[in-house]
Amino acid sequence: MKQLIMGNEAVARGALRAGLGFFAAYPITPASEIMHYLAEKEGEIEFVHAEDEIASIHMAIGASLAGLKAMTSTSGPGMSLKQEGIGLAQMMEVPLVVVDVQRVGPSTGMPTLPSQGDVLQAKHGSHGDYLALVFYPASVEECYRYTIEAFNAAEESRSPVILLLDGFLAHLSETVDLRRIRFSLKKRSLAPLGTGNRHFTGLLSKEGIPNTDDSQYYRQWYARVKNKMLSVADKYAFYEYWKNPQATTLLIAFGITARVIRPLKDRYAIFRPIRLFPVLAGPLKEIAAPYQRVVVVEMSDGQYAGEVQRVLQREVISLPVLGGEIHLQEIKEALNAI
Amino acid sequence: MQYKDFVKWSRWPTTWCGGCAIGIVFKQVIFSLERMGLAQNELTVVSGIGCSGRAAGYFNVDSVHVTHGRALPVAEGIKRGNPHLKVLVFSGDGDLVGIGGNHLIHTARRNVDLTVICINNQTYGMTGGQMAPTTLKGTKTLTSPHGNRYHPLNIQGLITSNHNYFYARSSAYHINHLQKVIREAFAWPGFAFIEVVAYCIENFGRRLGYRFGYEMLLKIKGIYKINRSPKERLKENELGVLIK
Ligand SMILES: Cc1ncc(C[n+]2csc(CCOP(=O)(O)OP(=O)(O)O)c2C)c(N)n1
Repeated sequence: MKQLIMGNEAVARGALRAGLGFFAAYPITPASEIMHYLAEKEGEIEFVHAEDEIASIHMAIGASLAGLKAMTSTSGPGMSLKQEGIGLAQMMEVPLVVVDVQRVGPSTGMPTLPSQGDVLQAKHGSHGDYLALVFYPASVEECYRYTIEAFNAAEESRSPVILLLDGFLAHLSETVDLRRIRFSLKKRSLAPLGTGNRHFTGLLSKEGIPNTDDSQYYRQWYARVKNKMLSVADKYAFYEYWKNPQATTLLIAFGITARVIRPLKDRYAIFRPIRLFPVLAGPLKEIAAPYQRVVVVEMSDGQYAGEVQRVLQREVISLPVLGGEIHLQEIKEALNAI
Repeated sequence: MQYKDFVKWSRWPTTWCGGCAIGIVFKQVIFSLERMGLAQNELTVVSGIGCSGRAAGYFNVDSVHVTHGRALPVAEGIKRGNPHLKVLVFSGDGDLVGIGGNHLIHTARRNVDLTVICINNQTYGMTGGQMAPTTLKGTKTLTSPHGNRYHPLNIQGLITSNHNYFYARSSAYHINHLQKVIREAFAWPGFAFIEVVAYCIENFGRRLGYRFGYEMLLKIKGIYKINRSPKERLKENELGVLIK
C-alpha cells in the first residue's frame, strides 16, 4: 500500500522497523518530526525528551549498553553538542544511530533553511582520530531504507553511525510503499550490562583496564579500530552512478542536491555517494577516471569537494550552493561558466 | 557475594593518593553491597571524570566510565534500557554538580530510579585543585588564588526543590551513618542523592595548611553532627536524610 510520508517520518519508521528500543532527543527544526513521531510510540519504546542534546546522546549510549537499539536525532546546533558523545561511543565501541538534519549555520544560522554544511562535522566533529560511518539518503524511501542500514552498520561496527539529511529531504513528502522495501536486520552485537564485570571507558584501555601512556599500544589499538571500520564500511558501499559516455564532466552530489541535478544526466555523468564516509575511494577513482573534469555540487563551501580531491589526487571543482536555496537553472549556469 | 568480591582487585592499586577520602567512601559502598546481598549481575556502576570518577572501574561488576559530567544521562539510559538493574552513580562534585549540573536538575526532576554518590571534596581534585561550585567562600584554590568570591551551590536546596526526593548528607568520617544511608538510598524507589562530605589532601588540603588526610577527616568529625529526624532542611553542620 502506498502512503504519503515525510522524510523525517520515514526515518522514525525505519528506526522502529530496525528494532529501535530507545530514543532520546531535544527539539530542533528541521529534525523535530522524528521526535514527534516517536513520542507517540512511548510505551512500545523508551522515549525521552531530554534536557539537551548532550544528555540525549549520552542516554542513548547508556540504553545501548543496557541492551536496546538506540537513536538520537538533531540538527546542526545540536550536532555540535553531540560530538562529545559521538567520541565516547567511538572510544567505548557502542552501537548507536545519530541523525543530523542539516540547516544553514554556523551557529543558529538560518533557521531553518536546508544545508549540507555538517558534512565535515559528521566525519570529524569530535576530537581525536576516528572513522565515522556516514550515510546520506536522497528520497523518502531511502530515508527509511538507510535508517535501517545505519542500525545494521552500527551493530556490525559497534560505533555511532551518522545519518545525514537536509531540511529539504526531511520535509519532503512522497508516496512510498514501505512494505516493498527489502532488507535484512542485524541482531544486537553487544552483551548487555549486567552480564559480567566489563569496564567501558572513554580512556584508552586494554581488556577493560585503562592503558593511557603506552604509545605502541595506542598504535595497535588504532590500527584495529580503523581496520574494523573499513571492513564494515566495505559491506555498506552504497552509491548510485549515471554513466554518460558522451560526457566529459562528472558531477558528484548527494542528498537533495543529487535530486535537483538529476535532470542533467543527459549532459553530464553523475555520481551520488550514499555512504559519504569513509569516502568510497574505490568506486570513485574508477568512475572518475574517464572524465576530464570532476565537479562537486553541494550546499556547503566545498566541504565534500575537498574530500573527493584528497581521494582522487587531482583537481576537483567545487560548486557551492549556499544560503539554503537551490535552483537547477542557477546550477546549470554555474556549470556552463566553468 | 562478600564485600571483597565487589572489588576488582586486578585494578589495584587505585589511582587515589595516600590519605584521600574517596577510598574510604568506596569501601563503605562495597560493605553496603554485601549487606544488601546484591549479586554481580544485578548492579552496574557509572562514573564521570575526576578522581572520584575512577571509582566505576574498581567495582567488580559491569561498569561505565563516561565523559565529564555525563554520568547521569548515561545512567538514566541504562536504567531505562534495563529497569531490573540497580544503577549506582559514583562521581565527584565538579562532575555531577558543576559541568553536569543541568543533568542533575533534570534527572532529579524526572525522578529516575538511580542511587547517586557524590564525593564533595569542595574542589576539582584531578586537575590540580581548582575551585568547584561547592568550594566555600574565601577558600584559596588554583583558580581563586585570592579566595573564592562566591558562595557554594546549595545542593540540598536543589534536590529537595523537587516534587519527590531523597537527599542525604553523610561524611567520610561517619562511616556507619554512610553505610546506612547507602542502603536506604538503594531501597528508595526513585532518584536518591547522597552528598558525601569528603576531602582532598594533595591538591586542596595542603594549600590550606593541612599536612595529612586524617587532619581533614578529624575536621569533619568536629564540624558535623548527625540529625536523625531532620524537619525540613539539614543545617550546614548536619548530616541526615530528607525524603518526600
Ligand atoms: C569536558 C572536560 N572538561 C574538563 C576536563 C578536565 N577535568 C578532568 S577531572 C575534572 C574535575 C573533576 O572534579 P570532581 O568531579 O570534583 O572530581 P575529583 O577529581 O575532585 O574527585 C576536570 C575539570 C575533562 N576531562 N573534560
